[in-house]
Amino acid sequence: MAHRGGERDFQTSARRMGTSLLFQLSVHERELDLVFLDHSYAKPWSAHPDASSARPTRMLFVTPRRQHESTIESDVPIDVETVVSTPVPLYDNQKARSVMNECERHVIFARTDADAPPPPEDWEEHVNRTGWTLAQNKLFNKILKALQSDRLARLANEGACNEPVLRRVAVDKCARRVRQALASVSWDTKLIQWLHTTLVETLSLPMLAAYLDALQTLKGKIPTLIDRMLVSSNTKTGAAGAEALSLLLKRPWDPAVGVLSHNKPSKLPGSPLILIASSGPSSSVFPTSRRHRFWQSQLSCLGKVVPVATHLLPGGSGAGVLQCLEHMVGALRSKVLEIHSHFPHKPIVLIGWNTGALVACHVSVMEYVTAVVCLGFPLLTVDGPRGDVDDPLLDMKTPVLFVIGQNSLQCHPEAMEDFREKIRAENSLVVVGGADDNLRISKAKKKSEGLTQSMVDRCIQDEIVDFLTGVLTRTEGHVGSEPRDQDAEKKKKPRDVARRDLAFEVSERGSRPASPAAKLPASPSGSEDLSSVSSSPTSSPKTKVTTVASSQKSSQIGSTQLLKRHVQRTEAVLTHRQAQAQFAAFLKQNMLVRKALPPGTSSCLFEQTEEAEKEELRVQLKRHHPSSPLAGSKTCKRPKIKVSLISQGDAAGGPCAPSSGAAPEAAGGKPLTMTLGQASTGAAELTGLLATAKSSASEGGVSASQASSVVSSSASPSALHTLQSRLVAPSSGGSLPGAASASSLLQGLSFSLQDISSKASGLPASPSPGPAPQAASVKLPTPAQSLGAVTTGAGSIVRAVPVATALSSLGATPGGKPTAIHQLLANGGLAKLASSLPGLAQISNQASGLKVPTTITLTLRGQPSRITTLSPVGTGAAPSEEPASQVLPSNSQFCYLARTT
Amino acid sequence: SWRRERKPPSGNAKAEPALPSSANQSKAVSEKPNYALKFTLEGHTEAVSSVKFSPNGEWLASSSADKVIIIWGAYDGKYEKTLKGHNLEISDVAWSSDSSRLVSASDDKTLKLWDVRSGKCLKTLKGHSNYVFCCNFNPPSNLIISGSFDESVKIWEVKTGKCLKTLSAHSDPVSAVHFNCSGSLIVSGSYDGVCRIWDAASGQCLKALVDDDNPPVSFVKFSPNGKYILIATLDNTLKLWDYSRGRCLKTYTGHKNEKYCVFASFSVTGGKWIVSGSEDNLVYIWNLQTKEIVQKLQGHTDVVISAACHPTENIIASAALGNDKTVKLWMSTY
Repeated sequence: MAHRGGERDFQTSARRMGTSLLFQLSVHERELDLVFLDHSYAKPWSAHPDASSARPTRMLFVTPRRQHESTIESDVPIDVETVVSTPVPLYDNQKARSVMNECERHVIFARTDADAPPPPEDWEEHVNRTGWTLAQNKLFNKILKALQSDRLARLANEGACNEPVLRRVAVDKCARRVRQALASVSWDTKLIQWLHTTLVETLSLPMLAAYLDALQTLKGKIPTLIDRMLVSSNTKTGAAGAEALSLLLKRPWDPAVGVLSHNKPSKLPGSPLILIASSGPSSSVFPTSRRHRFWQSQLSCLGKVVPVATHLLPGGSGAGVLQCLEHMVGALRSKVLEIHSHFPHKPIVLIGWNTGALVACHVSVMEYVTAVVCLGFPLLTVDGPRGDVDDPLLDMKTPVLFVIGQNSLQCHPEAMEDFREKIRAENSLVVVGGADDNLRISKAKKKSEGLTQSMVDRCIQDEIVDFLTGVLTRTEGHVGSEPRDQDAEKKKKPRDVARRDLAFEVSERGSRPASPAAKLPASPSGSEDLSSVSSSPTSSPKTKVTTVASSQKSSQIGSTQLLKRHVQRTEAVLTHRQAQAQFAAFLKQNMLVRKALPPGTSSCLFEQTEEAEKEELRVQLKRHHPSSPLAGSKTCKRPKIKVSLISQGDAAGGPCAPSSGAAPEAAGGKPLTMTLGQASTGAAELTGLLATAKSSASEGGVSASQASSVVSSSASPSALHTLQSRLVAPSSGGSLPGAASASSLLQGLSFSLQDISSKASGLPASPSPGPAPQAASVKLPTPAQSLGAVTTGAGSIVRAVPVATALSSLGATPGGKPTAIHQLLANGGLAKLASSLPGLAQISNQASGLKVPTTITLTLRGQPSRITTLSPVGTGAAPSEEPASQVLPSNSQFCYLARTT
Repeated sequence: SWRRERKPPSGNAKAEPALPSSANQSKAVSEKPNYALKFTLEGHTEAVSSVKFSPNGEWLASSSADKVIIIWGAYDGKYEKTLKGHNLEISDVAWSSDSSRLVSASDDKTLKLWDVRSGKCLKTLKGHSNYVFCCNFNPPSNLIISGSFDESVKIWEVKTGKCLKTLSAHSDPVSAVHFNCSGSLIVSGSYDGVCRIWDAASGQCLKALVDDDNPPVSFVKFSPNGKYILIATLDNTLKLWDYSRGRCLKTYTGHKNEKYCVFASFSVTGGKWIVSGSEDNLVYIWNLQTKEIVQKLQGHTDVVISAACHPTENIIASAALGNDKTVKLWMSTY
């Protein structure tokens, strides 16, 4: 055992040293790896000689203590000249700088009157404050001060080697101050709208850019409030400006953009189920923290994630802490049992944050699970540290990984070491330097080390993967499931394909009605407009479903990861498909079970996004919605809708066509584009149809040479025709990339969006002529999404349009009035799509504490080596890394969409 | 204030007749400079307050109590131009990194930003409520920092001329301000005896360096690599500090400095020296490591208020107060 462990250490160390980005990221802290590489018998200093189960602690970003110089300085020559070379930033500096300056580049779009000369540098003197109330003056001054501080930080950090990180920290600070200022007036709608308008009118461009940066940051945190602030200006400004502004504010930029998506986490072997223990009773009033949701989606890159939520019982205010805890343990335990009974061979990994970690540990004592991961372990209690003789945790036999923050309040690395020596289970410890209980690193740490939280999170994830890979590889032998090849290099294993095929498989299965509640498409291809599913009369808005919350970033990482792999449909896949189908059936059943439960009990939804990514086009529709017992006209659904526009030329190295429309992949034979239509509908999932919705995810391979196959696999020929014609039409009249004035770019942008919309409306329209969600009666936003992917091989002007489009839209306006998707889009373009969707989410009542962060992300992604053209108008060269594709400034507009590529 | 007095003008650089130096000699004497007077620059009509070489090595700027700044050729001492605009005496002058701009601090409570090529004043930075005494650019030269008799340090944006931040943490006039080489830190020294290190981006005070008996700090600057700071105090002492550890590493003494804010400098083009003016009309040169005085330059007839080192050549410029009013250029082979 010990020997095996050592062997494994050696292997993982060697692998990590050679390949991992994260090794680069935290290179200083990885001396452990060096130790293992030295000799087979080399032991790190932190080894536990008496407790072989406790593996040596790993340090992430823990700054080594400076050694005290014993010598007197007088003897040491002083070097006043040599500048210590600054470390190379760990992220793609160029890209980071580019996204960093986004707001500055596009600040002009925020101006209400773009034609008027921008305010002069001494704009402050020109601000006419006559007629301002005291409150207005005060608020304005506060904001001004925040912006000035931000300005100072920008200038002072200019040219610094880790400028993007420093800028990010500064912008976060500025955003915080702006938020405080706005909160000080209680977000008084009139006042903040006045403020926004005034700022936009008076601020000089650099200051306005700083203001936009702050807004962008806040929009990610408090979208509803910011939207409320922007309403007035949006109505006043031209459509173009409003569109661009809403695009700009969509998502805060991250310096680590690119790095993380280029270094994706790999799936865990053995396709384990990851159960996330809740760290407390959840309720709609206090939804899970954003951080936990983010991590949930991060983990979903590794395997299936099943959050196990515990809800407060109705009127459960009287429930004691103990009861609650019991409830949490019970919920997790029953979930484990449930999975065991359905999938005796499926490895189960329990993951929990803080209290949830404790719950997971306790459950692992009671039920067999493969591994436990504790994020932020609450070691210290009021009665001292855990690990007394009577502590049931000492009986743990499940391999467990502890990840704790160096500055955690509930835990201490040294106490943790003591504790670890007492547990019998094999256990590992990762200490994250400068991190708190939730593994968030401090601002100072970010500054001094040039880190971002996203990078740290990824490193933590890497450690988790390392640990779980080791455990899973070993257990696989015991369980005796399929033999697995552990070699990390062999990425294209059949089982990978099989796993990735799940969505496909599920969709295939979906054509066979498996669930009575599911209204399934009759077509064998399974590509059905899902809005029709959503309109199923069995839908009930009241049922609650806890969804896997996922943030855009991570899921995109997952998607890109999978995008890279090409599907190989082999015979071997089929058997896996069967297995997966079985699994899908389980999921479905699970949903039904969930549904049968009274509201307030835990339920889950399986995310399948990562599974479906071999397709070159994809749409993701994700949503978080806290279970809401309220069934009024205002729902608490919080759809997180993500639209990914992913285009990927098949012909790598094909002509990099900076000019519009030309696609690199006109060469026939290969499937050019694939379609995946997927929808989850609010109403549908309520009736337990979620699995069905997933299962009806459709996929079609569209190839230039196989037009007929397109027809068969997509909804209807006529729909395709519509699509093609719409695609071609604007392209012929499209503007040239060279003429890239701001307005024309914007136009192009909206054109392309309209185009997308038209496509979307085209496809779903054919199978079900009434695409307007009929769920309007329940006043639920019914997100339906469909996706059309079209490649036209015959167009004279545009030979092929490798456009991957995805559209997700909601069918209800904030007022609850149903709106046809295509109308919405065709009339409003991207901005409307962008602005109206959050608006929809605003249904929730802020005052009552039901925050509804709705995020819509449009992602356009292209493979770096390929040139992609988004729109026939030629506006959107996808953000590929080739300079050739960067001809257009409009690129950057799509950068908003595709920041994480 | 301290740095100046008065006397009538002239306008020419007088070349010294001959150079006594010989290369062999200097090498033989092992690690000692052989600075010799090359040029005496006459032009200011009153006490000179500050001399600075431009970062590109081309020019020398001198500010004076006669309210003007004069630009001289750094190698030949040739008079180039006079920048006029301030209403009162000028205490300090500083170059931008690209050598195209100058900023000057004056008793008229303003700073002025100058375009060197045209000799025009681009901006007047108003905001201090008392004499402005010291100023500097940050390395990217998008910020200006100034210290004043109003006991505050202000950070200005070069582009707009707006004050972005006022640091008020001194309880006496601020005698010197300086950015480190990366621009991330600011050091300020004050008559209250405290040196403070500031985070340039946020304006937060990161550290305060105080000696046992806190004599007034008359000058402070970062070492070229930003690892150390040189602090001059009005007790005839120069100290080299490792500020990250809050420790004094070297102490340089022997000169006289009790009254004026005398500039000091690191000389790194040849041997590693510390160069400072002195109130006994000499320029003192210490060996940085051994702390011994390696040379004293004689020639000025009043307090040497300022000494500056050329960025690439072994050239020292020194300037003296009102009895003298000249700037002198000294050169060495080592």
